[in-house]
Amino acid sequence: MSKPFWNLSCFIFLICLFCVRAYAEIDPNPDSPTPVLLSQANSSQVLAVNSATWKGNLPKQSPTLFRSGRENLFTLFVTNLDLMDNEGANALRVYLYQKSGKTFELQTEELTMVSKTVYALKVRIYDRDGYRGQPLDDGESVIYLTWRGLVSNALKISLGKSGGEIIIPEFLKQDSFKDETPTTEAVGYRWSGDRARFFEQATFGATTRLDNRVRRIGLRTWLAEQFEAPYPTNPYPNIPPMPTNIPPACSATQNPTCFRERYTMQPLQQWLFKEAFYGDAPLKHRIAWSLSQIWVTSGVTIQQSSQMIAYHKILAGNAFGNYRDLMSEMTLNPAMGDYLDMVRSTKNNPNENYPREILQLFSIGLFMLNQDGTIQRDGQNNPIPTYNQETINNFSKVFTGWTFCSGAGCPSGVPGTLNFRDPMVVNPANHDTTEKTLLSYPNAVNTMIPACTNCTTAGETAVYAEASLNQALDNIFYHPNLPPYISKLMIQHLVTSDPSPAYIERVADVFVNNGQNVRGDMKAFIRAILLDPEARGNVKTAPRYGKLREPVQLVTNLGRLFPAKSWDGNSLSDGGLSFFMDKMGQNPFYSPTVFNYFPPDFIVPGTTLTAPEFALLNTSSAINRTNFISVLVFDGITANVTDSLRGTSLDLSEAQAFAEADASGTQLLDYLNTKMLHGTLSAEHRNALLTAISAVPANNPNLRTKTAVYLIAVSSQFQIQR
Amino acid sequence: MKQNRREFLIKSGCALTMTALATQSRHFGLMQAMAQKTSTKFESGVPDDYRALVCIFLSGGNDGNNTVIPIHNDASVSNYAAYSAARSPQGLALAQNTLLPISVPKIGNLAYGLHPAFGTLPGGLNPGIHPLWATGKMAVVTNVGTLVRPMTRAQYQTNSVQRPLNLFSHNDQVNQHQNCRSDAPLLTGWGGRISDKITFTDNPNRLVPTLSSLAGTQLFTVGDTTEPLSLAPAPTPLSNVLALVGYNNSPVTNARLEALSAALTLDTNQELITASNRIHRAALEISRSLNNTSEVTVTFPNTDIGNQLKQVARMIKTRTVLGINRQIFFCTIGGFDTHSGQLAGQNFLFTQLSQAMRAFYDEMTVQALGDKVTQFTMSDFNRTFNPASSGVNVGSDHGWANHSFVIGDAVLGGDFYGMNTTNGTPFPTLVNNGPDDADGGSNARGRWIPTTSVEQYAATLSNWFGLPAADMSYVFPNLQSFTTGNLGFMQP
Repeated sequence: MSKPFWNLSCFIFLICLFCVRAYAEIDPNPDSPTPVLLSQANSSQVLAVNSATWKGNLPKQSPTLFRSGRENLFTLFVTNLDLMDNEGANALRVYLYQKSGKTFELQTEELTMVSKTVYALKVRIYDRDGYRGQPLDDGESVIYLTWRGLVSNALKISLGKSGGEIIIPEFLKQDSFKDETPTTEAVGYRWSGDRARFFEQATFGATTRLDNRVRRIGLRTWLAEQFEAPYPTNPYPNIPPMPTNIPPACSATQNPTCFRERYTMQPLQQWLFKEAFYGDAPLKHRIAWSLSQIWVTSGVTIQQSSQMIAYHKILAGNAFGNYRDLMSEMTLNPAMGDYLDMVRSTKNNPNENYPREILQLFSIGLFMLNQDGTIQRDGQNNPIPTYNQETINNFSKVFTGWTFCSGAGCPSGVPGTLNFRDPMVVNPANHDTTEKTLLSYPNAVNTMIPACTNCTTAGETAVYAEASLNQALDNIFYHPNLPPYISKLMIQHLVTSDPSPAYIERVADVFVNNGQNVRGDMKAFIRAILLDPEARGNVKTAPRYGKLREPVQLVTNLGRLFPAKSWDGNSLSDGGLSFFMDKMGQNPFYSPTVFNYFPPDFIVPGTTLTAPEFALLNTSSAINRTNFISVLVFDGITANVTDSLRGTSLDLSEAQAFAEADASGTQLLDYLNTKMLHGTLSAEHRNALLTAISAVPANNPNLRTKTAVYLIAVSSQFQIQR
Repeated sequence: MKQNRREFLIKSGCALTMTALATQSRHFGLMQAMAQKTSTKFESGVPDDYRALVCIFLSGGNDGNNTVIPIHNDASVSNYAAYSAARSPQGLALAQNTLLPISVPKIGNLAYGLHPAFGTLPGGLNPGIHPLWATGKMAVVTNVGTLVRPMTRAQYQTNSVQRPLNLFSHNDQVNQHQNCRSDAPLLTGWGGRISDKITFTDNPNRLVPTLSSLAGTQLFTVGDTTEPLSLAPAPTPLSNVLALVGYNNSPVTNARLEALSAALTLDTNQELITASNRIHRAALEISRSLNNTSEVTVTFPNTDIGNQLKQVARMIKTRTVLGINRQIFFCTIGGFDTHSGQLAGQNFLFTQLSQAMRAFYDEMTVQALGDKVTQFTMSDFNRTFNPASSGVNVGSDHGWANHSFVIGDAVLGGDFYGMNTTNGTPFPTLVNNGPDDADGGSNARGRWIPTTSVEQYAATLSNWFGLPAADMSYVFPNLQSFTTGNLGFMQP
């Protein structure tokens, strides 16, 4: 962007700022207090009583033994909570660590007030999921809880028998975090650690400019601003639609450049990265990217990048709109129709692909959910399916007859090519007009679509088909699973891999009703996700808080912190990174299947950690991540590696100024600690880094800076966003 | 050259200390026994009793109904005419004269046929897997699928016997094939659980995990106490797959490596950081053991599955260096979710599959391991017998019981295996709304109810592999729900 234009946009920004200030709220202090689990007097034993015999007072003493089991409940006592209205037992998560090395998440049942400051928490001595078995009665265990991403003190409890002393594991020994002293500015968002975290959640990472801006205007004002920001800053690639049969003049052998531009996702992928590095509407870009990992289509099947543009426009166009509109537009999007075969589903030969996946993956999931995202269970403790094969058969009938728009009435059609720009249209002759039974749930909307009684003409059938489609989508949209299902997915994509049920419930409640009785309002939904107390707070201490940066985040977070440039540093990056993205397991717009690059319920092998992005992390990709960062930081990505024009490198000058000013390396590390690690760099890690930096001659501040950036970027301390 | 673990740690000069590693390695099975005395079983350095299982997963749900097809005209069991009548109107039937014939002793030596892509092809590197039927090195296990316990059609339709969770859903059915548990979630796979049981005795040096995945983290590969090695496929040389770039043994880069390694043991109060560190640490550790590898002899196709199997063959060739006696491998070939475009799509994938499996078979013969290494296939599910869509776009939807290939010199090949269906043969009756169809009514689409469970299939392979009988119930907790754990397709 040229300098004068930047000044102009700055000016416009200031004017806009003036406008939004009028209705913007001030950001409250984001920090929640640290919960405290009460112990017995002068003891590291937890204060706990058998729930069945508890009298309702704060007990002076505690039994010494408890038994594990689904039928066994005990009551713990928690203080130092500052609860919101309707914040109950599902806001607190109780963990039991046993000598086996296994950690169980016990089922919390009820939270009641005992005194002004103390709450009683009733807990089942039973792991709800039980993926790695159940707690054993093997004597002393460690118990602790988390709330809003903060961990309590760890205490001991005896199960089944006393004795067998347990050592509190290292992972529960919390460093004493120093609270940040906020700057004296009266307005804006003063918490630097939380600002960095916020940008990683809401965008593709912090830039210096963005950070300064939010420090001044605050999160809420910035969000309001972003909801109105023009998008995209970099125009979508303008690729002409091509015939399905690749002409020799554009074949991979005869004209690889033509082939790459028109018959692969490369241009769209480059655009994605450029917009992520340089765009001025980063919130919308990030939300669209997250939605693309729910409503998945893929270049594995879709032939041309031009065919995916309309799809992406729907994601972005509805990112701040209403989820119901997203459902409609996506259902009739030709890329989705081609990918999941709705475009070729007819009444005589229906196709089950789209109906199955819209239910399983895009809206309600397989099992009935509570509003907080937990699975409903029947009397035998079995999950309750949301639908069966009959339901799929019926939805299949609804979705028959739709196909590519062609001929007159299709404004964007190009002769000789399939129309991926205009929405699909119905061919009445191929639509099934018989009765359909849809999803059934309490107060269900449109559980049944009657057979058409007046489909005597094509026009009448078309009207019926369109009405049926809307009725079926409403039937899905009003299913009680949809709010918690979508809320959990979006929280996982943006904030943390294993959100508390209470967080999911708060967000799902806003999805159900934005305050003006509107269901599916995306703006309110996004605000609820990003401003929740579990998302915000300067320091997060819970051992399971955060998420692994997916490869796209890893790349873009670095490319925004240390502004991405072309390989020679003289111009902007061209966004050509697919060679490395593929090696790291996330080549954008090439999801391996409709199940996205990673599943939302992935459990890290050997643990009980829910962490979707870890499905992409293995010995092979771990080395590929490290090696990618090595190339990016030390050498830059040259044009010829990716068959692109200008390559990509990082501008480290801002960091290098600290390396030049201070030969000890301390200032450099302080700077990187704030920018990359939200201020969490431990003393030991700092010492290790200082040794490596000091091994580089002080007269080479560039290599010192690269060494430090590389070492932090490859560390798990950075790769886990928290 | 053989290194033992202790020597390797010293030689590596890595900043990680033994103590630091040990405390950080709660779940890394590789590390668990490193401080213990090594078994004396392989003092010679050469495994004396090598065996390997190679799982090839056909991702997306392969249409078994166009994989193994009746050619014969015998009307007493489903014949070609029955097949053709159900699939040709929409254009999904393969022509009778293109099928590659196999004679099936279990069904009166009637002729069945393999998809034409399994044979000799123009420009092919090898004759494909079809000839291995006649030489008795390939078996087909028929109508196998996920089950909680055996169930009849009536039991399925009245829901009186528990069904597998989430039938016809990709990820659930993939998981159930890989973890062999259809009635409850289970976070370990049957490959991983075998590895849990045999790693201590059969992989005494633990320079690499017992199990390697060429397809990233897959449930099949996850054990309770052991974790898999994840390898990139060829053409990346095996010695490079886990090698860091940018290090040249200079003081500057040595200091850098030390800092990188030091960070891998820190910040243990964050479980996600610890989980990530564990994987990075394993990669660095194992990479040191893979710098002494040798190339294969046979030419492999330059396809994804070809390159995966080539890397497997290299790992197998390195077994003596590693002192490993049992290995399990996991490969995938994707794209089988053919709701449309199936004729071209499946042909394309089968060409790759057949050429790669045959190259691998030939390479094992060259390595004199023909009877020590067994390849087998699994998939999400079969597809509907009734086609989806029609014409050039014709495909099929999600089904259930399917057919699998088992290849190797230890296979009692040239026949079908599996429990009999309602027609008295191991092959299902190819009739929509017929006796083997889970669907009912006039819209029934032919989703065959399995007569043989994945557990039985897997247990037969595991038994050959040498999994002790005492460990069968650990690896296959639901095996006792079925009449036999040995389908007989492997040499005793």
